[in-house]
Amino acid sequence: MTRPAHSPRLGILALAAGAALALSACTAGAATDQTSAPDVELPFGPSTPAATGTVDSVTWMLPAEPATFDFDIDSGAAENTVLTNVCERLMQVQPDLTTVPHLAERAEWVDDTHVVFTIRGDATFHDGSPVTAEDVLWSMQRHAAEGADESDEYANVAAIEQTGASEITVTMTQRDAIFIQAMAGNGGIVLNRQVVESLGDAYGGPGTPDACSGPYVLGEWNPGTNLTITKADDYWDASREVLADEIVFRWADQSAVVNALTAGEAGGSYLDSPASALPLLSVDDVTLAQGASTNAWVLLATERGALEDERIRQALSLALDRSGIAKAAFGGLAQPSKTPVGSGAWGYERQGFEAAYDELEGAPASPSEADLEAARALVEEAGAPSDPIVIASDGGSVRNVISNALVAAAENIGLEAEIVTVPSAQYGDFYSDESVRASADLFSDEYYISKNDPVGFYKNGASTATVNFVGFADAEYDALVQQAFAATDDTERAQLAIELQRRWVEGTPWIPVAQSPATVALRADLTGVPSSAAYLYYPWAADLGSAQG
Amino acid sequence: MLTALRRIAGMAVTLMVASFIIFAAMYAAPGDPVTFLIGNPENLTPERIAAVRAEYHLDEPVLVQYWLWLTGALGGDLGTSFQYRQPVASIMMSRLPATLFLVAFAGVLFTVIGVGLGVWAAVRRRRATDSAIVGATTLAASFPSFVVGILLVSFFSVQLGWFPVTGAGDGFLDRLYHLTLPAITLSVGALAIVSRVTRQSMVEGFDSEHVEAARSTGMSSGAIVVRHVLRNAWGPIVTMVALVVASMLAGTVVVESVFGISGIGSLLVDAINSHDFAVVQAVLLYMVVAYMVVTTIVDLLLPLLDPRIGTRVKPS
Repeated sequence: MTRPAHSPRLGILALAAGAALALSACTAGAATDQTSAPDVELPFGPSTPAATGTVDSVTWMLPAEPATFDFDIDSGAAENTVLTNVCERLMQVQPDLTTVPHLAERAEWVDDTHVVFTIRGDATFHDGSPVTAEDVLWSMQRHAAEGADESDEYANVAAIEQTGASEITVTMTQRDAIFIQAMAGNGGIVLNRQVVESLGDAYGGPGTPDACSGPYVLGEWNPGTNLTITKADDYWDASREVLADEIVFRWADQSAVVNALTAGEAGGSYLDSPASALPLLSVDDVTLAQGASTNAWVLLATERGALEDERIRQALSLALDRSGIAKAAFGGLAQPSKTPVGSGAWGYERQGFEAAYDELEGAPASPSEADLEAARALVEEAGAPSDPIVIASDGGSVRNVISNALVAAAENIGLEAEIVTVPSAQYGDFYSDESVRASADLFSDEYYISKNDPVGFYKNGASTATVNFVGFADAEYDALVQQAFAATDDTERAQLAIELQRRWVEGTPWIPVAQSPATVALRADLTGVPSSAAYLYYPWAADLGSAQG
Repeated sequence: MLTALRRIAGMAVTLMVASFIIFAAMYAAPGDPVTFLIGNPENLTPERIAAVRAEYHLDEPVLVQYWLWLTGALGGDLGTSFQYRQPVASIMMSRLPATLFLVAFAGVLFTVIGVGLGVWAAVRRRRATDSAIVGATTLAASFPSFVVGILLVSFFSVQLGWFPVTGAGDGFLDRLYHLTLPAITLSVGALAIVSRVTRQSMVEGFDSEHVEAARSTGMSSGAIVVRHVLRNAWGPIVTMVALVVASMLAGTVVVESVFGISGIGSLLVDAINSHDFAVVQAVLLYMVVAYMVVTTIVDLLLPLLDPRIGTRVKPS
C-alpha cells in the first residue's frame, strides 16, 4: 500500500498550531533569508530510550477518529496507530525498520515464483483459539480479493494454497522480491476467520471485538469520544514484555493535540507533521524525538507540457532552496531531501543506501553558485518553455512555501513561473483527473510508501506507472525495475535500487523537496516507544513505560 | 388546526427544496469522491475508477442520484458514510449530543448575561456604565471566535490548568466542566447583539406613556423595570436569542476544532473535505431542520409572552 498522506484540514488550524509558522509561510518568497527559525535538533533514531517500568493507563492522541478497523475496506494513520497493537502479521517491522518473521516463523523463496510461509504453532487469538494455517489462508485471500484495500500487495499472486499443516505456499506470476516485506504490512494481518464471519458486515465498526492475536485487545469505542485498548490477559508470546496496561485514545486537530500535550492531559502522540512539534519545543514536561520514515514532500510533474524536457526539470531541481523550505514550512524539523522517498525506505543494506545518498548530485540542499550556473546552462540549452511554468498550491502553509520557493528558483534561472491555487478538497484529484492536471505543471504532496524498500517507490518511475504523469521514459529504467522486483537477494536488490535512485534523480519525474520524519511527543515521565515510522506496523504500546529509574 | 397543517406542509416543502439544493451543490463542488474512495494513487487506473463510480452510483445523472438518496431518506435510511462505512444516522447520533449541549450551554450563558447587561445598560442609559457595557460587548464581538478560543484555552487550560484542554466529557457535570470554555467562546460574540437589543427595546419602553403613568403612581423603579418595561421588551429579545441560537447550531465548527470536540461542525468539515456526500447532506439538513424548529418554537412562544401578538393576527 502506497499513498500520499494528504489530510485536508481547516486553514485556521495551521495558525492555531503555531502562529509564527503561518507568518513565515507568508514570507516564503524570501525563504533563503529565513534566519528567524532556530536550528533545532531533536534526538533522531529508531526508538526513544528504553522504559524501566510499567504504566497503568496512558491517554494517547490521534490525528483523527478511526473510521473502521476492517483494513480490507480502508486504513489510515489513525487506524494503523491503534490496530498495530492489536493485530499481528506474518512478518513484523522493527523500530529500526527492518523486517523479521512473526506469525510466520519462516518465509522462504523456494524457487523463482514460490514463497513458503511456515506458520508458528504456539500463537493464539484473543478468544483462545490457535492461529492456524487455515486462518492465514483465509486472511490472505480476504486481503487479495478484488477491490480489497490491500489487494495491490497481491497483484503478482497467482494462487495461495495450504501445502502442509502449518505451511502456506504463495505462487507468483512473476518474481516479487518485496512480497515478504509486504506481509509485514496490512496485507499480512492474520484474522480469526470464525470471529470475522460471525460479525459479518459489522466487523470493524464500533462495539465489535477484534479478530486478532496481538498484545492488546480492542476495548470500548465510544464514537466521537474515545477508544480504549487493554493488555491481553494471556498473550501467546510470554517472553514479550508488555509495559502499558491500557491506552485510551482520543483524537483532535493538531492544535488541540499540542494543547493536550502541553497541559499534560495526554501522555503522548505521534504527530501529524514535524511542524506540530515546534510549539512543544519550549514545554519542559514534553520530550520529543524523531525517526526515519518514508514520507517525503515532492513536486510531481504533470503532462501539461512545460516540463516535458527533462533538462528543465533538472534545472529546477538544482535551483530549489530545500533548506529554506525545511525551515520556513517545518521550522527546521524536516530535512532537505535529495530523493523522493524518505530514509525510512532503507529497511536493509542501510549503509550502502546511505553512502549512495551522500554521493547523489542534482538536488542540493541549498543551490551553490555552481549549481545555479549549471541550471542556467541547462535552461539555455533546452530553451525556456513558451508559457510560464504553473505550480499548484492549495493555500495551506506547506504548499504555499514550496510553491513560492519553486517560483523563486525558476526566476533565479531565467524561467517564468506562477502559482495557481486549487481548493484543498480538490487537490487529491491531481492523481485521478487528467483535466485537473491540465491546470498545472507541478503539484506538491507528501508521499509515503508502507514497505521499507526503495524498490516499492522507484517502480513509480517506470514508463507504465500510473503516477508517472510527465511521461518519463527510459527503457533501461523499466528493465531495472523488473530486475529489482526479481532480486530476492538483499544486496543485489539494494544495488539495483541505488541505480534506480540515481536515474530517478537524474530524470527527475518528480522533484524531491524535503523528508518529513516521524515525530513523537511524550510526557517526560514516559518513554520506550519507537520514534521511527514503525509505529504504524509495530506494537509500540507494549514498549511504552515509565522513564524513572 | 389548519394553521398547524399549513405550517407542517410549508416545512416539508422547505426541506425538499433544501435537500435538492444541497445535493446539487455538493455535486457541483470541485473534487471527486472517487479519489478518496480509492485512496492509493497508484491504484487510480481508469478501470478501477469506472468500477468504483458504478459501485457508488456516481456515474448516474445527478437527478437519479438524488432520487436514490430521497427514496432512501423517506424510508428512514440516510445512507452510508463513504469514510466511516457506517449508517449516517448513527454517526450523527454520536456527534449530536456534544454540539447540542454546547449550543444550549452557550445559549443560556449569552441570554442570561446578555439580557442582564442590556437591562443594566438601559437602566443606566446615557451614563458611564451604559457606554462601558456597549463598548465592552462591541469590542468582545469584534474578536473572531477562534482567537477567543485559543486565548482562553492557552490561559485557563494550558497555563492555569483550571479546565480540560480537549474533549466533551462524559456525564452531565463532566460535560458541563469540559464545555465551559467552548460555550464562553461561542457566546462572547452574541453578547453584543443580545445586550444591544435588550437595551434598545427597553429604552423605548422607558419613554412610553404607560411607564410614565406607572411612574406617576409612585411605583418603585425596580417594579417598573420588571413589570412594565422588560415585559414589553421580551418580544424582540426572544426573537433575537432564537436567531442567534439557530445560527450557532450551524456554526460550531471553529470552536469544536480549537477545543478538540467531536461534534457536528467538525464532522461537516471532514465530510466536505472527503466528499462524504451522505454525511454532508445529513448534516446540512439537520441545520435546516434545527433552524425551522427554533423559529417555530419562537412563533409559538411569543403570543404567550405578549398576548397582543396573538390577538393581532385574529381576524376582527
